[in-house]
Amino acid sequence: MTMRALWKHSLLFRSVAMIVAVSILSILLTVAITVVVTQKRAQEAAATRLNQLVDTVESTVQVACFVGDKTLAGEVAKGLLSNSEVLEVTILADKQELARKRRAGMSQAEADHAPSLTRDIHSPFNPAQVVGSIRIAPDQQNVERSIVEEVRFVALQSGWQLTLLALVMVEAMLLFILHPIKAMSDRLHHMDARAGDRLPGLKGYVAHTEIGRLVDDINTLAGDLVASLEEERTLRLQRETDEKKYHAIFDNAESGIFVLDGEGQVSSCNPAFTRLLGVPGNVASECALRLGKLSWENPLRLAAMIQEALHDNKPVAEDLCLRLEDGASRWLSLILSPIGDNLLQGVAHDVTGLKEAESSAKRLALTDPLTGVANRLGLEARMHALVKNFTFTQRGGFVLMLVDLDGFKGINEGMGRPAGDEMLKVTTSRLAHCVGSGDSVARLAADTFGIVLHGVTRGEDADRVAGCIQQALSQNHFIEGSPVRLHASIGIALFPDDGSDVPTLQRHAELALDKAKAAGGNTAVFFDPAMAEAAEQRRHMENDMRQALRDGDFRLYLQPIVDLRGNHIAGAEALIRWQHPIRGLIPPDAFIPISEQTGLINDIGLWMLDAACAQLAVWEQAGQTLHLSINVSARQIPEGLPPSKLLEALQQHGISPARLALEITEGVLLHDIEKALAWLRAVREMGCRVYLDDFGTGYSSLSYLKHFPVDTLKVDKSFVQDMHVHANERALVEAVVAMGKSLGLDVVAEGVESAQQVQLLREMDCRYVQGYYFSRPVPADDFDIAAARVAALLAVPA
Amino acid sequence: MGFTRYLLAALLALLSALPAASAMADLVVVVNAESGVERLDRDEVINIFLGRYRVFPSGLAALPIDQPANLPLKARFYRKLVNKDLDEINAYWARLVFSGKTSPPRQAASPAEVMAWLAANRGAIGYIERSMVDARLRIVLEFAP
Repeated sequence: MTMRALWKHSLLFRSVAMIVAVSILSILLTVAITVVVTQKRAQEAAATRLNQLVDTVESTVQVACFVGDKTLAGEVAKGLLSNSEVLEVTILADKQELARKRRAGMSQAEADHAPSLTRDIHSPFNPAQVVGSIRIAPDQQNVERSIVEEVRFVALQSGWQLTLLALVMVEAMLLFILHPIKAMSDRLHHMDARAGDRLPGLKGYVAHTEIGRLVDDINTLAGDLVASLEEERTLRLQRETDEKKYHAIFDNAESGIFVLDGEGQVSSCNPAFTRLLGVPGNVASECALRLGKLSWENPLRLAAMIQEALHDNKPVAEDLCLRLEDGASRWLSLILSPIGDNLLQGVAHDVTGLKEAESSAKRLALTDPLTGVANRLGLEARMHALVKNFTFTQRGGFVLMLVDLDGFKGINEGMGRPAGDEMLKVTTSRLAHCVGSGDSVARLAADTFGIVLHGVTRGEDADRVAGCIQQALSQNHFIEGSPVRLHASIGIALFPDDGSDVPTLQRHAELALDKAKAAGGNTAVFFDPAMAEAAEQRRHMENDMRQALRDGDFRLYLQPIVDLRGNHIAGAEALIRWQHPIRGLIPPDAFIPISEQTGLINDIGLWMLDAACAQLAVWEQAGQTLHLSINVSARQIPEGLPPSKLLEALQQHGISPARLALEITEGVLLHDIEKALAWLRAVREMGCRVYLDDFGTGYSSLSYLKHFPVDTLKVDKSFVQDMHVHANERALVEAVVAMGKSLGLDVVAEGVESAQQVQLLREMDCRYVQGYYFSRPVPADDFDIAAARVAALLAVPA
Repeated sequence: MGFTRYLLAALLALLSALPAASAMADLVVVVNAESGVERLDRDEVINIFLGRYRVFPSGLAALPIDQPANLPLKARFYRKLVNKDLDEINAYWARLVFSGKTSPPRQAASPAEVMAWLAANRGAIGYIERSMVDARLRIVLEFAP
């Protein structure tokens, strides 16, 4: 190794070299200083010694000089020369040389050259008087010798001291620093920190020194590094796993994932995307295709999407339809999100199924599931389309025909729902048969159908179709072997003559249908503006009735019921009149049906109940034990007039329930039998009596009498009035009376108008009668007068 | 008044004593009246008595004479002259005697001999008490009292 290499690589060499260099330098410096100092000191010491030497002889020299005694001076000089340091002595007295003595072997020049000591010599008797001088030249060589000796000594001493110091320092460095570092370095060379290797802790005298701490620090650092590496490795593995995972997701995704530029050029995509597009190429790198070149149904839309996403820098989503090579179409939901650099990241889903389901649902919403024809919404949509078309073209009216099956409820209940459903299907197909291909058939409600006859503007054509329908429906249809024939009520309205918008047209067709049904069914009725007028009147009347209820315009009228057996008034039937502020007194026939249609009957019924109870209370106070019966419409049962309300009214006026009778018709029993029965039982248990009104005009089935708990039958006036003319009627009334008697029911004969009829009824043993003969219905306030008249009539024997 | 008397007496005693003492110590350096020497300063006297130059300023050889050593007069003279005692003077002369270049002043055996030599030698110089001065002698140096 060269010195340079050693210097470069060996710390020890460097340290030793520096120590040696510094030592040599300091030795040289010390010697130099020593030379200077020693020289000075030696000179000074020599001078001192010479001075002392002169001192010892001064008095003698004084004497010698004082008297100019050469002999004495010579002696003194000789004596001084005996000192080895003295080279030459010269004694002068007043410029006269008294003595000059020189060491043998020394030249004059040598003596002159040396720095001599000269001292003035004073008179021994007068210190102020200079009498001579003495000059001593020292032996310079002697001085130099001593200097050399001194320097040699100093050099030697500092030499070995520094050498020793250097050795100790080198050794200390070796021991305390270099060897531990070397050991550490060697150990580090072979140390595998990741395998858990660490530097062994230093022992002994260096354990707690800087080196010891360095070892600890290195170990800590190694630990930290290893930990960091571990962490890094874990992260890398995690990243790789993630990458694989995402790659797998990308490759295996069902959704198409791709990246494209502003020109619609796809730069990368996953296999699902190519599958979705129906283009070849499953490798991601082969995704060089232009989206715009595919056969989109609306290619401009795609370009607009790309522009919008790039321009607005926000995601854009849209469903686009793609025509595949095999002719099928595929709906793709595309979401394009800008990812910067004029690039878009896209996701594509196949939403063909969704789209189909959507359109199917749309169809379903407009279609009746049972019959497969349009439902109300579908028909309305058709009509709206036609109306819209008409407003543009002013051509092409149409006819709305509503077909309601008469008595279909009976079929449904009597033969079961499946049979009813089948009938509806049959009806649908028969209806379809009667209309053209441009027309629409729809099922609007349970047994109501709507037909739109497109292009039909003349009533005759509509009438022809209606006839066809009635003809078709009346054909026998066999269900489980039983022949079933259907009849239909048909309401017809023409567009635009009968209504210029769909709701009006529908309303008018419904009015016509109502009219057809009211006419007994199995008929077709065209809408007539009068119908609308009537409907309008009904609405007016309804409003007026509400007003009347508020204003108290209804009046209570009473018609006495006479007990023929006891010859006295048994009570009365409560009747209602409407004291209209403009139209005057209105009979119940004119407003009760409308009130029944609108539900106002419930309010009117409650008013009636209250008025009747008040009347009963008046009688009660007057001590009259009369009965009062009120009419209850089928619409009021059971919710309109619940037994609790009855009881409440009775208790409010303090009336015994036995005084109040409720007149119902057979119609009550035609609706919900169970509820009607429950209502009947409840009111009878409460103590009220129940009259069956208009007995004989309706079904008057005897089985009803068996099923329904009533107390009294009221024989309809049509039988009573013709009693004395037709034997049949008389026999019928007789039969009713007899039947009532045998069933334990009271019988009231209504419409008695003559004494002859009274006589006949007496003969039949009909106990109660009611009619003009005794009294017309009178205002409640006039009842007493009427009663007095009745009493007068009864008093006259027939 | 007794104290004043004592003080006065003491002062009188002192005054009477001082002239007596000065009279006793009054040394003068004298030369032969015929020598021609009028005055000498102290250094000239020293040079002559201590052997440096044995001539008067006039060129006349000087002959210094010492009083007998057993007389206090000699010691007083050297004390006055160079402020040294006789031992020191003797030691001085001892070094010079060795070389033989010069010699100490002639040693008289008695004051009378001093007087005689002074009178007899024209170049003689000596020291005596003032009271001893006569016409043959001339005072060349007086020591301040």
